[in-house]
Amino acid sequence: MIFLYIGLPLLVAAILPLVGKISKRFLPDLLANGVFLTLFVLALTSGRRLIGSGPVLQHFRWMGEDTGIALAVDGLSLFMLMAIALITLCVGLYSINYMEHYGSKSVYYALLLMMMTGMNGLVLAADLFQVYLFLEVAAVASYALVAYGLEYEELEASFKYLMLSVVASAAILIAIAIIFGMTGGVGFAAVAEGLRALDSRAAVGFCSALFLFGFGLKAALVPFHAWLPDAHPSAPAPISAILSGLLIKVSGVYALTRIFFNVFGLTPALSEVLMWTGMVSIVVAAFLAVGQPDMKRMLAYSSISQVGYIVLGIGLGTPLGIAGGLFHLFNHAVAKGLLFLNSGAVQQATGTRELDQMGGLAKRMPLTAGTSLVGALSITGVPPLAGFWSKLLIIIALVQARQGTLAVLAVLASVVTLWYYLILQRKAFFGKLEERWKNVKEAPFWMSLATVILALISIGVGIFFAATIRSWIQPASDALSQGVQAALSIGGF
Amino acid sequence: MIGQILLLSGLLLFSILAVLAKDLIKSAISLALASLILGIIFFLMGAPYAGVFEISVVAGLITVLFMLTIALTKAGGDVRESKISTLVFPVFFILVGLIDIFVMKGLLPKLQILQSGAETGTFAEVLWKQRTFDLVGQLAVILAGVFAVLALFRKKDNHD
Repeated sequence: MIFLYIGLPLLVAAILPLVGKISKRFLPDLLANGVFLTLFVLALTSGRRLIGSGPVLQHFRWMGEDTGIALAVDGLSLFMLMAIALITLCVGLYSINYMEHYGSKSVYYALLLMMMTGMNGLVLAADLFQVYLFLEVAAVASYALVAYGLEYEELEASFKYLMLSVVASAAILIAIAIIFGMTGGVGFAAVAEGLRALDSRAAVGFCSALFLFGFGLKAALVPFHAWLPDAHPSAPAPISAILSGLLIKVSGVYALTRIFFNVFGLTPALSEVLMWTGMVSIVVAAFLAVGQPDMKRMLAYSSISQVGYIVLGIGLGTPLGIAGGLFHLFNHAVAKGLLFLNSGAVQQATGTRELDQMGGLAKRMPLTAGTSLVGALSITGVPPLAGFWSKLLIIIALVQARQGTLAVLAVLASVVTLWYYLILQRKAFFGKLEERWKNVKEAPFWMSLATVILALISIGVGIFFAATIRSWIQPASDALSQGVQAALSIGGF
Repeated sequence: MIGQILLLSGLLLFSILAVLAKDLIKSAISLALASLILGIIFFLMGAPYAGVFEISVVAGLITVLFMLTIALTKAGGDVRESKISTLVFPVFFILVGLIDIFVMKGLLPKLQILQSGAETGTFAEVLWKQRTFDLVGQLAVILAGVFAVLALFRKKDNHD
């Protein structure tokens, strides 16, 4: 069953360009969204049963023969698979209307499916080299998707993203090569066991630095963030949503934490580095976001800042901190996805991303304005929305671990977050409606539906936060908390 | 020993040239030469399959693709190398060399090596039986690349 997460999007992506010859819009829309929905329902229904008695290493068999493909599933990977499927589904629904004007939909969906294959593969891999390989699958698809509009600005942003991203990939590959040279294996379990036997702190420290640089660049942590404020706003809105909502978290945060927690084992020094990197990202990016005149650019800086919260929580290393970080990962994915989708709706309706040129759009686009407010308040951490609980968990965890300075800074940065989101809301949606926006219309059905679903999730998760933590966050957090033992226990993780 | 140092220096030289050369043809040729030397190093270090792939795919096939693309897209006229790259080259070369000598010299003795683990066997066994999932990943990378080309070279008729 679990191989479907890689096989199904790969297969449908492969046939989509051919399907595009028969039907330019309807069939690509149907097939791609069908895949997203199927995988989301699968994660919700049968995934939990699969890992009911702990992590499993599932071997994929084909016509009774073992293919040698083994996929590892635990609470964390299932949680990530669910988040990937959910955001991709909403992005897919939104694209039905939004991508009408971009020409070939079949190639667009094929790339989106390839990005999903890459992210799912990365999450299910139990091997360092496979992590690198699927990281590249998602990255190659994302370079093309950033440049999908083919305008000068988009191509330039994509090129910058490509150049910085390959440097990150090279650093990751060098670290994997050194580890392979030392331990003679690349499987998580083999490496964890090998490193324990060797006790080579200098080499592990060097590889950790390379991974931190490589995955930190993919996650756009400060100071490796330069590419993100160009790449994310330039992409078409649904792609910005998936890049900011998912890709930086899967190829950056997930990969980094999986390796640091389950393969290397988190050391106090590494924990300190992660926490301070997170904190610097939170503060620097929050202040950079304040003065941005471009709506999507402001959201992009906000992503860097919020990823900082996630890394801060997870980097703390206590069960509560990890749970808070992972919960914020999900909440930010939903809310930032929602905000980027809304920015696309506004840009499509008005033709601009400049906040100073907008104003009073809530009168013409009430759904977009309402859902935007929900997303903004959730990210800021206003109760009872989902983002409040995740930030609260992170701050309580910091206080419990006697990290008072970091806790105070995290709260203060949240105030800055509220400040720039209020600027965004006020400039775009509130105030007097300008004369030239009199004829602006609300976003079409599928675009509105996608944003309403995400807004409802932000509200619903906020109200039922205890159940969400119990059923999704806790198993994911346990997988990281177990550290290296998790990798050694089933020979995969 | 001298042969190894010469090969490594050549690898470094042509790799840096590939990055710094402004003329795309010179850059592509430098890259091919660097790959060729890397292939030879692979052979000498007892990794013949890696050597064969490096020379045939990277030094051969990819260079042909680069040359074809340059030939099809070049507007004509010689590209003049900028003075900066002529100045930067020796500095860069010496700097990378020094980092290599000092960092690697310091790091290598600290690297303890374990015996090769479970993934051993003939090349075919490793590729087809033990690393099957890598093949799926590679198929996905190729597909993503093909779709990227289709997306970037499509007709931009309807975009507004």
